[in-house]
Parts: sequence; C-alpha cells; structure tokens
Amino acid sequence: MSRIRHLAAPVAAAAAYLVIAAATPAWRQVLGAVFPGESRLLYPDATPLALVWQHLELVLISSALSVAAGLALGVFVTRPAGADFYGVVADLTNLGQTFPPVAVFTLAVPLLGFGLRPTVLALALYGVLPVLRNTISGIEGVPADVLESASELGMRPWQRLLRVELPIALPVIMAGVRVSVIVNVATATIGAIAGAGGFGAPIINGLVNLAPAITLEGALLAAGLALTLDALFGGVERTIAHRERAAATAR
Amino acid sequence: MIAIRNVSKVYEGTKNPAVRDLSFDVPTGEVVALIGPSGCGKSTTMRMVNRLVEPDSGTISIDGEDVRSLRPETLRRHIGYAIQGVGLFPHWTVAQNIGVVPGLLQWDRTRIAERTHELLDLVGLDPAVYADKHHDELSGGEAQRVGVARALAADPPVLLMDEPFSAVDPLTRDRLHAEFRKIQSALRKTVLFVTHDMDEAAQLGDRIVVMRDGGLVQQDTPERVLAYPVDDFVASFGGTERALRRLSLAPVTEALYTPNTAGAEGPSVASTASLREALAIILKAGLPSIPVRDGDGAVVGAVSVESIVERFRRPLT
Ligand SMILES: Nc1ncnc2c1ncn2[C@@H]1O[C@H](COP(=O)(O)OP(=O)(O)OP(=O)(O)O)[C@@H](O)[C@H]1O
Ligand SMILES: [Mg+2]
Repeated sequence: MSRIRHLAAPVAAAAAYLVIAAATPAWRQVLGAVFPGESRLLYPDATPLALVWQHLELVLISSALSVAAGLALGVFVTRPAGADFYGVVADLTNLGQTFPPVAVFTLAVPLLGFGLRPTVLALALYGVLPVLRNTISGIEGVPADVLESASELGMRPWQRLLRVELPIALPVIMAGVRVSVIVNVATATIGAIAGAGGFGAPIINGLVNLAPAITLEGALLAAGLALTLDALFGGVERTIAHRERAAATAR
Repeated sequence: MIAIRNVSKVYEGTKNPAVRDLSFDVPTGEVVALIGPSGCGKSTTMRMVNRLVEPDSGTISIDGEDVRSLRPETLRRHIGYAIQGVGLFPHWTVAQNIGVVPGLLQWDRTRIAERTHELLDLVGLDPAVYADKHHDELSGGEAQRVGVARALAADPPVLLMDEPFSAVDPLTRDRLHAEFRKIQSALRKTVLFVTHDMDEAAQLGDRIVVMRDGGLVQQDTPERVLAYPVDDFVASFGGTERALRRLSLAPVTEALYTPNTAGAEGPSVASTASLREALAIILKAGLPSIPVRDGDGAVVGAVSVESIVERFRRPLT
C-alpha cells in the first residue's frame, strides 16, 4: 500500500481531467462566458473527450516507440559491441531534435500519406533524444565498483544489464521518458496538419476560422493533459525511488 | 587446494610484468596471506584465480581442475570474493546483496532467505536490524561484514579476499579479525587473503607468501617468516618489532614449565592465551613469573620472562 501512495493524487488528478473533458455543456458555458457574443464555441467535429482519446492515441503510440528505440539504442551504445556507434547515434539524435517537427510532418506526408502514421513516426523520432540521452547517462552513472562486483560475483553481461545497470539507471531513464512524453503532448498538436486529429484540430480550426474559443478549447485540453501526465510521472518516479523502497520494506 | 604454477602476467601497454613466474599453493582448509608492497602484484595474482585477469603463461588449478576448464562466470559463482571496496549494489537491501550468488545459482527463495539470515548472524549483524537496510545506511565496517557475508553466501569452498578489512578503524578491524578467525575455524575454507599489513597476515594466515616486484620472495608459517626472514626486504616488512609480533603467534603453553614455582596466588594467565598476553600480565604484575591455569582454573604450570626468552632461543621447526 505504502508503495503506491505516491500514485493516489496523480491518479485522482487524471480522473478529474477526464471528468472535466467529458462535461461538454460545461465547456460551452465557460467558453461562452470568456467570449461573450461568440457563437462558435466548441470544435464542431468532435467532443472534447473524443479529442482527448485521439490525442492520447497519438502520444501513447509515438512515445512507446520513442521509449523502445531510445532504450534499445542507449543500451546498445553502452555495450562493448556498440561502443563504436556511440558518437554516430548521439550526433544523429541531436540532429533529429534540431529538425523542426513541422518540416518532418510535411516531408513525411508524401511518403506515408495523411493521418496517424506519419504523425506517429515524426513524433516518435522527435521523442527519442531525451530517452536516449538519459538512458546513456543513467547507465554511465552506475558506479564502476558496482559493475565490477557484478562481474566478480559471476553475473553474465545480460544479467548485469537487467539486474544492476538498468535498475540503478531507472530513475534517470524515467526522467528522460517524462520529458519525452510531456514534450510530445505539445508537439503532437502539430499532427493536425497531417490530419491525425487530436488537440491540434481545434487549435488550427480556430486559427483558420478566426474562432478563438475553439483554439482555447484545444489549448486548455492540451495543457491539462500535459499537467496530468506530468503528475502521473512524478508519482511513478517517487514510487520507484530507492529511498522509498527502503522505507517501505523496513515498515 | 589452489595450485598456482609458473604464472606470469604482463598487462597490455606496460613493460614490467605484474606477476613473474609465480608458484605457490593454498592448501585445502588453510589461509594463505599474500603480502608485499603496493603494486607488487598481489591483486593481480588473486584476480587470475577467478579469471578476472587471464595469465600470459602458467596454470592455476583448484582441486586439480584447471580454472580455464570452466566458464569464467560459472567459476566465479563457486569462488567467494571479498574486496576492500565491497561494491555493494546500492539498489538492493543488505539481504538482497547477500543473496546474489545463491540467486544466480537458482536456489529457491526460502533457502536464500534462510541462508541470508544465517550469514548475517555469522558476521555479527542482527538480521532484524540489517536485512532491509541499504548500502548508504551502513558504516564502513558493517559494509565490509556484508561483503564477507556475500562472499560466503553460496558456501564456496574457496575464498579470495583482497584487503577486505583495510577500510576500517583499528578497533573494528581487530573485531573483524577475531570474527574471521572464529568463522574460519568453523568453516575451514581454502582462503587466499591479500594484505599489506604484516600484523594482519600473521594474525589470519596459516602461511604467509611474501611478494616483491611480481615474484615470490618467501613462503612459510607466520612465525618463521618473522623469525627467519630470507633477506632484509622481508625483515623490513616484519618491522623492527617483529620479535614482539612473534609473541602473539605462540601459545603460552610453548613457554610453560612445571612444576609451578610462582605460587597459586595473584595474577595468572589462561593456558589458551598467547605469549604476548602472558608477558603483558607479567609486566603489569611486576613479577618474574605467573601461574598458568587451564579451562577449569587448575594450575598446570608457570610461565616466566626467562621461559619466554628460552622459547625464543629455541630454533623453530
Ligand atoms: N588493469 C591493469 N592494467 C595495467 N596495469 C595494471 C592493471 N592492474 C594492475 N596493473 C599494474 O600491475 C602491477 C601490479 O598491480 P596489483 O594491483 O596486482 O598490485 P597490488 O600488489 O595488489 O598493489 P596494492 O597493494 O596497491 O593493491 C602494478 O604495477 C599496477 O600498476
Ligand atoms: Mg591490490
């Protein structure tokens, strides 16, 4: 029980976020109060809650890919066999980060077509760097004497990776995942230009049709999701922190 | 028995060999203390036994089996290894740290838990207090005990210990030495023990191997190394007080004479004590001789300054 107590508040916040997103009439009322006289208050093609699901789909799929790729690459370049690729991988991902995501989407559309796929791909590429960077620094931060004692006690290289290196690096890796996902929530709004839906759809719709209430709807939903996910990650990070586990087992 | 035969090692990028044509044995159930100045190749020798370092030439075998016949990881799971730095896993509790090798050997959970408990008791740490602590909640001495417990966890017949007690204060070290002797007299492991402290070597070793510049200079019992150093180098390692060091190695019974002339009154010494303790009591009492008592308190003879001097004059066998 004590191990998951850090998750109680973030989970409650997430539930509150979904409840608020589902209250379409309330959105109309609030936006109507902010923009008196405006008739176009809500995005016409989807309810706020439907936008949340679309956006979550984009973020979760692309972040899952980012995390998998970042972890795999980070582990690979810190193995003796992958050490030669360390520089190349670091340069490529840094380069990827400097490439504007709008351009990535625009270039990806002719290749992959409109919709979810090019958006997910671009977002995934974009989100690799923080995960990769933190995977590498987390693994490199494992003290040398600890690595040596793993070998001295007879762990095989993969046992050392799974039982020692990754667990010790986990808090640092999680911090990278958190950054990657939160940035992804904002970046994914650009997916609307490739027709992927999500919060980008009302934001662009409001811009194009000069309907600021609709843009605000999308922006508020996006900000809320970012905050909610950030809180969830904070809870997870505190749950996995060593000290907490020590205290929890001692109790 | 660990048999080291004509082993040499030159590290890549270095000119002088770290170990040169080294041969010696660690007999089964005995402790061999490997001693020598910093950089003389002690750790290298030890690390070749569990193949953390591969020799350029020569062979090392354990109970007749060449260490190269096993996969390094398999070999290491059957050799306990305790080092100065300990290298405890920071993300695991003390109990999890001790259970590492049994876990690698796929013991079941209850057996590991029992073993961990037993080992914490053995090294003098209360399991109820220490089992769930993490590395950063331990003192240096406690961490070293955990390191020793971890090395003993899977009950390996062979132990390699590389200055495992050097990072603690002298009092704690004395206590750890006493515990080590107690544990060793019960478990009778085959132990290669590296130190650069002659007192530690003499206290813990059944035999001492003295090294210099990668080669063997002398190997013998502690008392003989102190009594008959082969050269000035070994003599200097014993220190100017090496005769006094010898006092703690010989039991009082070796200077015992009968009948008791010291009278049954006044201070006495136990027959299990060392000559050093006997001399200390003699000096404190300001008497030429004191009675020696056995476990039941019965006087079995006496020891005197003269009988101690006499014991030192006799050649050692
Ligand atoms: N990995 C290595 N690569 C190159 N040289 C090494 C390596 N390890 C040790 N040496 C060298 O080999 C020699 C013997 O080192 P070793 O660690 O065996 O000495 P030691 O007797 O254990 O010393 P100390 O008492 O300081 O621990 C030293 O000159 C050392 O510098
Ligand atoms: Mg050394």
